[in-house]
Amino acid sequence: MRRWAILGVAGLIAGLTIGIVIGWWVWPVEYTNTPPSVLRRDYRDTYIVMVATAYEVEGDLDRARERLAALDAEDPATPVIELGERLIETGGDSDDITRLARLAWALDVITPPLAPYLEGQP
Amino acid sequence: MSGMPIQRFSLFIGLAIGLALGLVYTWYIAPVELINTYPALMRSDFRADWVRMAALSYVADGDLERAVRRMEGLERQDVAGAMEALIDQYAAAGRSAETMRRLTTLAQALDVHTPAMLVYLDTPSELATPSQTPRPTPTEAATPTPVLTPTPTTRPTRTPHPPTPTPTPVPPFQIAEKEQLCEPGQTPHIEVVVRDENGNELPGVEVWLMWQDGADRAVTGLKPDRGEGYVDFDVELDVEYALGTSELGVGLVSGLRIEHCPETEGDGSLMGSWRITLERRSAATSMPEPTLIATSELTTTVTPESGGE
Repeated sequence: MRRWAILGVAGLIAGLTIGIVIGWWVWPVEYTNTPPSVLRRDYRDTYIVMVATAYEVEGDLDRARERLAALDAEDPATPVIELGERLIETGGDSDDITRLARLAWALDVITPPLAPYLEGQP
Repeated sequence: MSGMPIQRFSLFIGLAIGLALGLVYTWYIAPVELINTYPALMRSDFRADWVRMAALSYVADGDLERAVRRMEGLERQDVAGAMEALIDQYAAAGRSAETMRRLTTLAQALDVHTPAMLVYLDTPSELATPSQTPRPTPTEAATPTPVLTPTPTTRPTRTPHPPTPTPTPVPPFQIAEKEQLCEPGQTPHIEVVVRDENGNELPGVEVWLMWQDGADRAVTGLKPDRGEGYVDFDVELDVEYALGTSELGVGLVSGLRIEHCPETEGDGSLMGSWRITLERRSAATSMPEPTLIATSELTTTVTPESGGE
């Protein structure tokens, strides 16, 4: 009587362990249809720079705002500011920084580090 | 002996329940965390937008290697679909020739082909070599072409081939009508409609717009909603243009310039665009006087909407 209960619990623990190994490592959930917000950091940075560059070409601020909302729906300008300042600190491409600064300006948020890149803005 | 089947049964039941609980937990309750993904995993509309933005970035910075690298890892059909859509959209919107050339260059590098690209494929362009540095002033030492002056202009700066100094060729088309368009809110442009001797519009005719520092080319029929023989060019004020077909240098109209509409010359607020109708010469009329037609010889008409203040 006691032995079958012990074996049942042992089976349960073994099954649980196997299930966890399968579910997390062997066949984990595969994601598709993901949003840009979960991109790896370097891809996320590229996305933000491309949003700023596309804005420079097309001048469509609503579209830029919509694209940035896929990263931060609450405050679309924050990723632009953060990346712009990080690129300044790390010596990033000045053209990219200028585009980010112009987009930040268009979104009505500009910070002191980015301001010098706005030469020519009204 | 009788306890053995029960013990085995309990072991398997425990194992099955444990396995089920483990999978439910790892697949539904606490699945692997969704971080550090890459563009190919994004939803299809985001993937298409990624390609579009990468292409527009190339338009802005001219860095072909960077643009191609940004599209690595994406499915070919994603890249092709988004590029084709972008090129078709920009062609229909009448984007500048320089923008179209860059998009075409990128599309070629990505092995993407769309009919709207054909216009720009074999057009000589300094943009074929991607570069982030300012374009140098073109110099052509091998031919006695006049040296271009670096006047500030946003138009493409390609050097038109000089007209052949042989007997004046007979243009295959002649001007049937030249009309000044005076519609409030229009951007300065030159429309051209090409038709045959029976008045039917002709698709696929190469039309050149030339000015002092360059030339632009387009093919009729790429805006089917405007007509099979239709093509247009955005132009700038204070620049004199010439218009030709087929081979560059065979001009039909010279001295084309955006001018004030007659009724608005007083306030100068309305600048008239031009609509030029070209008609193919019939066999009987193709031989005589193949000379350029001066604008002063042409009839100017103004559309009824003109006027304004």
